Amino acid sequence: MNVARIVFVALVVFVIQVTAIHRIAIAGCTPDLTVILLVALVLERGPVLAVVIGFLLGFLQDLGNASLLGMNALAKSVLAYGVSRVGGGLLPENVLFKGFIVFAGCILNDIIVLPIATSFSVGQMIVSFFRYSLLSALYSALVGVCIFALVELLTRRVVRPGGGY
Amino acid sequence: MHVLLLLFEKHLDKTVLAIAVALAIVLLSVGDQSQIRTARAITSVLLYPVNRVTGSFASVESLKQENGELREMVVTLYQERERLLQFGEERNRLRKLLDLKADTFHRFLSCEVIERSSSPYVHSIMVDRGASDSVRSGMVVVNYRGLVGRVSQVFPWSSQVLLLNNKAISVSCADRRSRVVGMLEWDRGNYFRLEYVGKEEDVIVGDTLITSGLGLLFPKGFPVGTVFQITDEKGGIAKRVRVASLANMNALEELFIVTGGREWNDTGLLDELEKFQVKRTHSR
Repeated sequence: MNVARIVFVALVVFVIQVTAIHRIAIAGCTPDLTVILLVALVLERGPVLAVVIGFLLGFLQDLGNASLLGMNALAKSVLAYGVSRVGGGLLPENVLFKGFIVFAGCILNDIIVLPIATSFSVGQMIVSFFRYSLLSALYSALVGVCIFALVELLTRRVVRPGGGY
Repeated sequence: MHVLLLLFEKHLDKTVLAIAVALAIVLLSVGDQSQIRTARAITSVLLYPVNRVTGSFASVESLKQENGELREMVVTLYQERERLLQFGEERNRLRKLLDLKADTFHRFLSCEVIERSSSPYVHSIMVDRGASDSVRSGMVVVNYRGLVGRVSQVFPWSSQVLLLNNKAISVSCADRRSRVVGMLEWDRGNYFRLEYVGKEEDVIVGDTLITSGLGLLFPKGFPVGTVFQITDEKGGIAKRVRVASLANMNALEELFIVTGGREWNDTGLLDELEKFQVKRTHSR
């Protein structure tokens, strides 16, 4: 996938994340599509592009929400780099592993975002983590597994030798 | 320069991360400046068409249900209107007798939620009314049950509303029955705490809280929540009053922006309702 296509996909993901994702919320928790995209990018294109796209996506998220500007940009940059360090060399072709990486990525993202969003209120951080972060991470991982499986299925069909599907 | 080149050559990933982190920290420390407000306005304008499209997907079932509920509400409101007109006249006469200053009630601008904050920690929504509809920053937003939040930023065709369930918002509230005043602060979900209520104050479970108007940020008289638990703070001199908000912050759809005041004897809205009802009767 070339850079222009990646940027296009990133923009589509951002628009869906900001405008439509709340329609599939469960108990106030929504999947984080940006984390799924970043995990896919890290595994396919390495950490540098993932960090750049992560920063830009986070920045756009901050602009689209009432959150502090820079909060998501910081979290998504660190997340992209962290995922590349942890998951890059391991089983990148395993869909379930990718799902686990999405789960871990969401948790890391919230560990960075929560202190800033709650102004370092420890009680609020703990409540929000157990109330929202775990469920959101699990939800994102499930959605991630579905998306990765679908993409794998589609790309497998395209590259099958012999000309037909 | 040489060191920078070396960094980019040898540790490209770490250097890019360091730059990204530094930029993010700079952005965090910049605050809410005019350039950032402009950038947010541009993002809002770009997202507006998508929000309109995604917002228009509502199920027929939910629309039917809502229509039924609204019809019931119209009947109730008509009965209430007749009663209130009588009270209004009586009230005006009494105020005149007491030589009190004429007061106003509120003018509302209806709006729809077109976007919700994707962050579970900063609760805000975007509504489909903006500067083109004379919405201004600081205006109060309510739904038919009670107070919802305040307009925090205004864009050309949309506005951002900071909801009450944010740590940054405190509302000066009064008990509608006993007029005891306290500060309402968000706890979690749809639950709040009424702070600064003395042990001897007259607040009981089931009391409704309304905005007191003392904080000047929220006008007086909007219902906010119901007291559902009161406990004495250990060794303290205050009560721990827990409040459930009347508006469900997780299910906001149609809202009203309080755009200003109207005179008590201004019956424009009631006349419009009357016309609407006559039109509906004829169309059946």
